[in-house]
Amino acid sequence: MNLRPLLLLLPLSALAQDDPWDDGAWEEDWGDEEQGMVWSGFAEAGLGTRFDTDELLDNRNTLEEVRWRIESDWQPGDVTVSLKADLGYDGIEEDWKAEIRDLTATFTIGESVDLKIGRQVQTWGTGDLVFLNDLFPKDYVSFFAGRDDEYLKAPGDAIRVTKFSQALNVDFVWTPVFEPDVYLTGERFSFYFPPADGNIAPTPPFSAPEPDKKFSNGEFALRLYRTIESTEYAFYAYRGFSKQPMFVPMNAFGASIRRPLGTGLANAETSFYDSRDGDDQLRFLLGYEWEARRNFTVGLQYYLERQDSADTRHMLTNRLTYRAGRDKHTWSLFTFYSPSDDDYYLRPTYSYRHSDQWSFTVGANLFGGNEQHTFFNQLADASNAYLRVRFHY
Amino acid sequence: MFTRQLTAMALLILGSTVAAETLTSADEIIAKADIASYYAGADGRSEVRMIISDAQGREQRRQFTVLRRDIDDAGDQQFLVVFSQPSDVRNTVFLVNKHIDKDDDRWLYLPGLDLVKRISAGDKRTSFVGAHYFYEDVSGRRPSDDEHELVETSDSFYILSHTPKDLGSVEFANYQTWIDRQTFLPMKIEYTNPAGDIYRRVEVFEVAEFDGHPTVTTSRVSDLLTGGKTDMQFRYIKYDVDIPDSVFTERSLRNPPRDWLKRPAE
Repeated sequence: MNLRPLLLLLPLSALAQDDPWDDGAWEEDWGDEEQGMVWSGFAEAGLGTRFDTDELLDNRNTLEEVRWRIESDWQPGDVTVSLKADLGYDGIEEDWKAEIRDLTATFTIGESVDLKIGRQVQTWGTGDLVFLNDLFPKDYVSFFAGRDDEYLKAPGDAIRVTKFSQALNVDFVWTPVFEPDVYLTGERFSFYFPPADGNIAPTPPFSAPEPDKKFSNGEFALRLYRTIESTEYAFYAYRGFSKQPMFVPMNAFGASIRRPLGTGLANAETSFYDSRDGDDQLRFLLGYEWEARRNFTVGLQYYLERQDSADTRHMLTNRLTYRAGRDKHTWSLFTFYSPSDDDYYLRPTYSYRHSDQWSFTVGANLFGGNEQHTFFNQLADASNAYLRVRFHY
Repeated sequence: MFTRQLTAMALLILGSTVAAETLTSADEIIAKADIASYYAGADGRSEVRMIISDAQGREQRRQFTVLRRDIDDAGDQQFLVVFSQPSDVRNTVFLVNKHIDKDDDRWLYLPGLDLVKRISAGDKRTSFVGAHYFYEDVSGRRPSDDEHELVETSDSFYILSHTPKDLGSVEFANYQTWIDRQTFLPMKIEYTNPAGDIYRRVEVFEVAEFDGHPTVTTSRVSDLLTGGKTDMQFRYIKYDVDIPDSVFTERSLRNPPRDWLKRPAE
């Protein structure tokens, strides 16, 4: 990789480390981020390794990388320009990586219309790590490998227009060139391949043909939403393609509701995927989250997926979060369990925020089940534990 | 709205008399203290910074801007909190619809995931963004949650003792406040645990007047058991700036309202 961009950025990072709070007399110095550009971000090293080897793959590790995050935003005139970019080396792919996660211009037209144009990460819907009407790209490889949760959402090049009004808010997202999920290719993780009746890890890695890059293959996503009293209502529509291979043309329609119930929060969401190949799908989600004890939160979800060509899939999820020491320590366990597939995926993590600069995360991705072809159990040999160290500047 | 105007007029007319009068009702004093601490003006903005120190003297920092709008005096309120420091929480936005007769509605925007996360009603006596301050210290404890007793009236302070109605919901057995007789701002609060020890103290070091409202500008909370403390400062304070209702919506989570966050000339 050409290292020149890195060198160019060095002086900027040196500037960013000139912390305005280090001047001692904090009464006098309130920072000047309002007046100009601020550069911030982090440097991170991550290492993750399998509990057992995957015979199909040479590298036992699932995560082996260093990355440098650069973030900034500045405001020329009435426009806000923001940037989030990662540079780093990935030891699994044996390559330098550069990714822009956010490079957008945001501005307001008139009183009530916001435009955000450029590369951006987008999220909507009420599920916790379960997605129905959120058909924005996701990166499951990062999610399974032990990267930060943030990387589950992949960026896409899009134009987002939001119209706000008392009666109804309208979100419209146009992604001119289809942006698929980052799917399993056999490079970092092997995956189940029905004709082989087993896992494969092809070389070169599996790559599915994507829809032609033309405007008529763009993605359109729509959300109508409103909060009345404490209840959030939303309706969704989507026109595009299924986000996983083989990228079948589809439309989707759905709705969600989220509101306080008892001492917690309840949500329900449904979505209907109208697929061009006739293999339609209905998705349904019910969730409830509450603080069971001081600093201890419990979340439960029931998820259903009914597809014409397959048996109905049921899934239960559970999120337990415990924070201690004024949020210095965070213990978390997220469990996916499917009674119909008889498989599971556990995500225990422990994060320690040592200071405003240093944080540490250890965690594991544990997959298992009974039958090799099920969604989580195909990753049984990918079960891993990882450690990440981050320095924020 | 009408009630507030009426109250404001009444205060204008009666202001001097009220200040000179010595109050004897604990409930009346605490009601005035609640207004003075959390409801100054019809709305307001302030920048806030905190230094969080543990017993070993290790420090963390937080900096954010708060916009507030009152629906009713001593009633429901809206808050928008936009973080600027440290870098791992930069651009994180917190939206609160505070309710008096039901649980608050709270949303947190996590920019990394573009996620509007709704937060379930929780224990309000837990750390606010890692500080020794609790959520309840920042947004106000409902006067109706405690029984109040006027213990002593000194030259400068009303000294009150407060006992929670629901002992199970809090970590203290009671607390005592020193309320300034002129401004009705609590200048010191000491919390006593069930063992009878004072274990937590909130102190106000500086008060200044902004747009006619005496306002705390420097305060500290100390954890007397562990030796940790958080110092908090408020700056760039403005009241009655007519922040519209529309600022306190999901729109501001994704696209913070620049005009209202802009630092005013002091």
